[in-house]
Amino acid sequence: MTQRNLTFARRPLFAAYAAAAALALGACGSDSSDNGDSQADGGATSAGFDAAVPAGDQQKGGALKLLSSESFAHLDPGAAYFQLDYMVMFATHRSLYYFKPDDPKTAVPDLAEAAPQIAADNKTVTVKLKKGIKYGTNDTSSPVNGQEVKAADVKYAFERGFKPSVANGYLATYFKSIVGADKAKGGDVAGITTPDDYTIEFKLAEPFGATLAKALVMPITMPVPKSYASKFDAKQPNEYDSDPDKQAFSGPYMIKSSSPGKSLTLVRNPNWDEATDERPAYLDTIEWTLGTDPNVAGRQIMSGTGIVNGDTPAASTIKQFATAAKDRISFTPLGNRFVNINTQKKPFSDLNVRKAFAAALDRKAMQLTRGGTLTGDIATHLLPPTLAGHEEAGGADGTGADYLANPSGDMAVAQSYLKKAGFADGKYDGPAIRMLGDNSSPAKESAAVVRRALESLGMKVNLTSVEHSAFYTKFCNVVDQLKKIDVCANYGWLPDFADPYAMLNANFNGEAIVPVNNSNASLFDNEKVNADMNAAAQITDEAERAKAWGAIDRALVEQVAAVPWFWDKTPNVRSKDVHGVIAQWNAAWDLSYMSLEK
Amino acid sequence: MPSAELAPGDGAATAPITARSPLELFWRRLRTDKVALTALMFIGLLVLIAVLAPLIVKLVGAPAPDVQSSAALDPTFGSPTGPSSEHLFGVDKLGQDVFSRVVYGTRVSLQVAILSTGSAVIAGVLVGMFAGYYGGWVDTLLSRALDVLLAFPILLLGIGLASACSLGNGCAGGLIQPGLTVVVVVIAIATFPYIARIIRGQVLSLREKEFVEAARSLGASDRRIIFRQILPNLVAPIIVYSTLVLPQNILFEAALSFLGVGVQAPTASWGQMIADATEIFDTAWWFMVFPGVALVLTVLAFNLVGDGLQDALNPKRGR
Repeated sequence: MTQRNLTFARRPLFAAYAAAAALALGACGSDSSDNGDSQADGGATSAGFDAAVPAGDQQKGGALKLLSSESFAHLDPGAAYFQLDYMVMFATHRSLYYFKPDDPKTAVPDLAEAAPQIAADNKTVTVKLKKGIKYGTNDTSSPVNGQEVKAADVKYAFERGFKPSVANGYLATYFKSIVGADKAKGGDVAGITTPDDYTIEFKLAEPFGATLAKALVMPITMPVPKSYASKFDAKQPNEYDSDPDKQAFSGPYMIKSSSPGKSLTLVRNPNWDEATDERPAYLDTIEWTLGTDPNVAGRQIMSGTGIVNGDTPAASTIKQFATAAKDRISFTPLGNRFVNINTQKKPFSDLNVRKAFAAALDRKAMQLTRGGTLTGDIATHLLPPTLAGHEEAGGADGTGADYLANPSGDMAVAQSYLKKAGFADGKYDGPAIRMLGDNSSPAKESAAVVRRALESLGMKVNLTSVEHSAFYTKFCNVVDQLKKIDVCANYGWLPDFADPYAMLNANFNGEAIVPVNNSNASLFDNEKVNADMNAAAQITDEAERAKAWGAIDRALVEQVAAVPWFWDKTPNVRSKDVHGVIAQWNAAWDLSYMSLEK
Repeated sequence: MPSAELAPGDGAATAPITARSPLELFWRRLRTDKVALTALMFIGLLVLIAVLAPLIVKLVGAPAPDVQSSAALDPTFGSPTGPSSEHLFGVDKLGQDVFSRVVYGTRVSLQVAILSTGSAVIAGVLVGMFAGYYGGWVDTLLSRALDVLLAFPILLLGIGLASACSLGNGCAGGLIQPGLTVVVVVIAIATFPYIARIIRGQVLSLREKEFVEAARSLGASDRRIIFRQILPNLVAPIIVYSTLVLPQNILFEAALSFLGVGVQAPTASWGQMIADATEIFDTAWWFMVFPGVALVLTVLAFNLVGDGLQDALNPKRGR
């Protein structure tokens, strides 16, 4: 998940398009809370070609262009863990389950035939596969070209994820309960079996079947034929990843050519059978240009034809579209942002000091640093509106905690908590606070607001500003470093799939703390919360599950495990002749659903 | 005709032939240089602004430079707003007042310019004098060391040193702290070899002069000769070179801050403001224009004064 959160934060809400008629932008000076509300569902429902699965008026054919400044991290279904990678992977491969673009909460079968069967003891998950799905390759003489997808290919896709040459980033998070997964190094995993060619069975050591079943939307479930791929996987670096045009593709498109850092071309997969797939796949070709200046890309999308953004548009582009072309920009809610505070080190080991900081933080100013009300709502707790449990934890109004009541901060409340913590005059007078911040805009500005809040409590702040990736990989995801850090200012999280587990467990379960690649940057370890999370992960009933996670969210706010401040919305922009469709679960364009006007 | 001797006092009254000190001569020449004088007055104004920054900001009614007023940001886009009666020069991305940041930025620029130029001159003059006066292996050693320093890509050296010292607790055991000190040290290191080279050259010729020979034959110590005989003769080149280096150092500070390794926020610095402004220049011109103009005017003023001083101290210099 590291890669995925990295990304997320790296691309401030990247973005996208459409439907922003619902944005309430038109009314100048409209109340910002109005704005927020209308957007909460505005991203999903809008006129025309919006994220709803397109009606029949769309036409086949045409070439779509995407422009991005960022490059892909991995174009291998086993290693991909990044928004941009996902856009390509989900167009070229088929996972067991996937989310239709307009519904980020309900997974539907793709490679699978029907919903997963979870055994009563929550320890076995069985998935039946569709028949007649075939691979396509660029090299038509390849033995795997035209070969049918079998359950063994999905099993191998999991197993290769444990190899160092693939090094999947989330297997250990969501699939560690599979029997044998804890010791897997790339060989056979005993807990994954294929009773026949079209059945795959996951046997779990612990009763986490419900959570595992939800994770079957991850790209690790995309089939990889062992006979074909094992020779690539044996090498380091892995050619299946570095030469993606050599892959065996099961999706509607194939990677025809890839030039790292420069371009990527997708063409139709001749062996893809639309009878087996609900995706319309209107486009003939997709050309992706990397390394484009965001401002230049914005202008090209605005005036050109057949172009959409591949990553976060520049602030000026967002402003331009939102004022002059409202129907060509949309904001898709996904993910959240919070300030991590070290709950194991003085002074923030004291709950009252944490509450004082939460009260002092001007979340309204934080929102403005990220682009105002358009790009997200001020958070009142941790679970964003897109996830189950959000309403149960208090919805937009929050849990009622006085230290999060005023979005602009409340110094009187802050001082009262400091007094409770033993600072008689309401001013902190202990040693300086060490804070880690991201040195690039807009995270840099957010960090400046955090610093200001700390200083308003009387704290002297030693700020270390580092590059975005170093913020995570060198500091805030490394326990030895975290022990010396009081505040990680720029933490953002994109849930891997629509379940509160994917949002809260890795970040706040004390049992999830690991020496490196640690996502619990608050080092928050509360026995009761840990136990509640472990229990909630096993609940299969959706309503019960939402209730349980909502209660956990409340407990985390009560404990101030972190200070939530933002529920992100990702902007996306398009040229006027593009029927844009946003995959809400990824907050990015869904290439298999988009089309061009003729 | 009575030959009357003139009373001594009378002659002096009618024909005032007094010896003018070099300083007086210099001042008379400088006084005629209107451009340099104007620039000098501007610098005086800058010094006043720097010293009285809090008072000026208060008089104008602007908020302090590190006050983040989110009310001044566009609520929909979070983008900064332009000049208004409340914020004369508009605000930056955090809602901080650009006017008061430009005013406070004067402090940083002048502070860095004076401190770094001062330390570079002291180091340069000392090294140059010793190398030039002693010659031999001392000269060889010092000159080669200077050559090494001159061969360094200075900006890269600056970025490297500054970024190494910007993390954690500074470098050299905490002696060099991130922020202003780093900038001053980097600039001084980058500048002093040039001064040292020039001074060395001057000393090489001065030490052969008769008055030095005379002092030596009277038994004066090396120290006395260096500081009492040679140093006073170096005043003119030192002044001229300092005034030329000063504006360069202001730009150097701006460049380091622009690259993010200089003075750290929330301290206001022109270079840092310009860097922050580049990303949003097409929508927020005021954020770059005001600190940019301040920087250009300041550097121009120092350059003009430097030229004027050079002419006044060395009138025979051809142009």
